[in-house]
Amino acid sequence: MRRHTRRVYNLCYRFTGQPHDAEDLTQEVFLRVYRTLASYKAIHGGFTTWMTSVTRNLLIDHYRRTKKDRVTSSLDEEATMSKLEEKASAARRPDQIAVAGELSMQVQRALGRLSPDLREAVILRDLQGLDYREIQDVLEVPEGTVKSRINRGRIELARLLEQMGVRRE
Amino acid sequence: MIWKCEQIEERLSEHLDGLLDAPERAAFGNHVAECAQCRMLVAQVGGALAQVHRLEMVEEPLGLATAILDATLGPRAPKKNWKIFGWLQPVLQPRMAMGFATVVLFGVVTLQAVGVQVNEIRLSDLHPVKLYHASTRQAHLIYARGEKFVSDLRVVYEIQSRLRPAQEEPPAPQQPAPKANPQDKPNRESNWLNDPACRLCVVTTGLTSVPGRSMR
Repeated sequence: MRRHTRRVYNLCYRFTGQPHDAEDLTQEVFLRVYRTLASYKAIHGGFTTWMTSVTRNLLIDHYRRTKKDRVTSSLDEEATMSKLEEKASAARRPDQIAVAGELSMQVQRALGRLSPDLREAVILRDLQGLDYREIQDVLEVPEGTVKSRINRGRIELARLLEQMGVRRE
Repeated sequence: MIWKCEQIEERLSEHLDGLLDAPERAAFGNHVAECAQCRMLVAQVGGALAQVHRLEMVEEPLGLATAILDATLGPRAPKKNWKIFGWLQPVLQPRMAMGFATVVLFGVVTLQAVGVQVNEIRLSDLHPVKLYHASTRQAHLIYARGEKFVSDLRVVYEIQSRLRPAQEEPPAPQQPAPKANPQDKPNRESNWLNDPACRLCVVTTGLTSVPGRSMR
């Protein structure tokens, strides 16, 4: 339960970039999973893939719903994001935390600037660790499209990070 | 197989994910070695990917799992007996219970040591003065028993030390038996003292000389 909660929460957080939205969406995902559990069949793929698929559909709905009143960045959100990143890396030295927190905030910001199609492909592949086949099941698009989206997403992300002055290592 | 810049850009992610086969990998490598622009692109995307992989899992809010459980399974009803025995809950924690059990055990052992029968205990037995007298009595008893034990040990060691030289004496070389003189009386006293059992009697009674036949 906790493992799935964390995974879904991270997926929502990385996609929306807003902790409160991620929390609400995570609850919504579990509610939907609970209600539609009877419709899940193992032949449709693993439970995790199915759950990711449900999450992705809700994220797309949420994206469309909030398109009008979305604000790309606000000071409050950045402060909350910063707190979350610091909490995730609490075991390190303060200078390391500061650098890592700043870097992850910039990467999160760059992710937020990607188009939803590319963003979800990159998040599923590089943050959720799904393979191409699983992403194909989640997104319900052909394998070629998955590869193309991941590739374009990564190139675009690299370009954005370069623009933001994030140092390459 | 010769690749152009467009193919490098198209297949870049597959290269980074290690999904190219050997000929494709070779064509990719050959082109990148010659084309500075593609080399820069590969380095740029590889660096960005490393940054993304470095992102850590964010911890979910504390009450999220509970909120989800409440939303799906409904709020959990509190147990009925919880309020009645609520004050016992801190005591019934494993750590507290272990501490409590240790204190009780210590008390029982202490009471047993001062001579109070735990199974027949009365309130008056716990009076400080009574406890003091009981503990003093117990201490004296233990002291007296110890003293007697040491005294007994001393006697035993004394007996053993007196017997040991006689047992450790090397056997005397056999002398030719003197001719029997019918007029000589047999030395009954010395024969009697050679017997270890009789020697023990001598030591315990403190007698060094034994009157001839009267000791029989």
